[in-house]
Amino acid sequence: MNSSELARLIKTGILGVDVTEEDVCADIAKAREYPFSAYAVDLSYLELAKKLLQGTRMLLTAAISYPLGGMTLATKLSQIRFALRVRAEEINATLNLGAIKSGDYEAVLAELRAMVDVAGGAIDVIVIPQFEVLTHSEKLRTCETLLDAGVRAIKTDGHGGLCQQEDILLVRRTFGRDISIEASGGIRTTQQALALLDAGADFIHTSTAYSVLADIANP
Amino acid sequence: MTGEEASQTNLLRSIDHAELRPSATYADIRRVCLEARHFGIGAVIVHPVHCERAASYLRGSDVRLVAAVGFPSGAFTIEGKLFEAREAIAQGASEIDYVTNVGALCSGNRAWVLREMEALREATRNHVLKATLEACVLTDAQKRLGCRLAVDAGIDFVVTSTGFGAAGATVEDVRLMRDALGAQVRVSAAGDIRTLRDAWELIRAGASRLRTSSGVCIAQEWGGELREEGKLEQQ
Repeated sequence: MNSSELARLIKTGILGVDVTEEDVCADIAKAREYPFSAYAVDLSYLELAKKLLQGTRMLLTAAISYPLGGMTLATKLSQIRFALRVRAEEINATLNLGAIKSGDYEAVLAELRAMVDVAGGAIDVIVIPQFEVLTHSEKLRTCETLLDAGVRAIKTDGHGGLCQQEDILLVRRTFGRDISIEASGGIRTTQQALALLDAGADFIHTSTAYSVLADIANP
Repeated sequence: MTGEEASQTNLLRSIDHAELRPSATYADIRRVCLEARHFGIGAVIVHPVHCERAASYLRGSDVRLVAAVGFPSGAFTIEGKLFEAREAIAQGASEIDYVTNVGALCSGNRAWVLREMEALREATRNHVLKATLEACVLTDAQKRLGCRLAVDAGIDFVVTSTGFGAAGATVEDVRLMRDALGAQVRVSAAGDIRTLRDAWELIRAGASRLRTSSGVCIAQEWGGELREEGKLEQQ
């Protein structure tokens, strides 16, 4: 794999409390020179990013209830409607982790169904189960639930988690190709990225895309 | 009531007992609500997804319910925060603690920050409104600007930190904010408050509220366990 091929499997972006307009402009200007797959921003920069990404192959990703997932379903849905208005191409929505940890999969299913419904096929729904805080059985149950709701893609971790190769293997082994897996959380090196792709990840999500590309040959 | 008991009551009443861990279960939410009732802690703060549940556990008590809005990045739209705040109030929150758009503050976009403060003030007319800054990523000038805008917008409290950043409240930040806010707006300290000593230092520096997940430790450290035991289980 060369750097251009790896870049096509990378989804990047800039997220966080102290990100400035200038940071978004500079980061997207740099990202435009690479064939990354998608670019994620927090909602207050969504409209700005939409303009800046014009003419690139990068999809615009809207971060919904990111990264804690502690917003109500109604708030998450209103955020998805906003993302639709801005014409973002995909969402990364953090699930109701409190419901998962409480074993309330009915609430998880209802949330997922409502999100799929509002997305209406006009925007790709990628959910964040935050594997780092889930047990083995919670991971499996959450994946079953999202498949039930018609969601087909996960981003393994949000803020702070460290992506584990075993999680990728677990999902791939259990659900085959039914779930698209975006590995995310602390991925900073080429070796990490290649190992996760090897384990079955479809995409690498990283805010440090250039360090991930550092140790791979140019085409 | 002795002087010491009176100041202990005041200290505990000034605490926002925080359960903001993303993995908090329904049982955790119940526990913090019962703890606040048991120890005489002033308020409980939870994410909006838990407001309805927390309100049910606080019903009939004088513990206030605070909703954490726009956490932890504050990087949401103004309309989005308004939606979240209104819904939280409808579900039983008596106070809103929202993260200001810190990125806009860092970008020098004071118009956005002020418009957001004014919009939330309008939407929470009859409720206490707290604007959280993230002091650890701001310059002193940006902290002062945030405080000035809060005064202009009539915010009730400015909070030092989200608790999700690299660092929490410092005595220096509380002093700076106290100084910048004047008489109308109070300071709430948050993040890294773990002991009675931390609490006192921040209060001495000018904080009127403390948002911390260590409320029970602080209460116990000061002899909160003197209250009759077993009361928590009975509630």
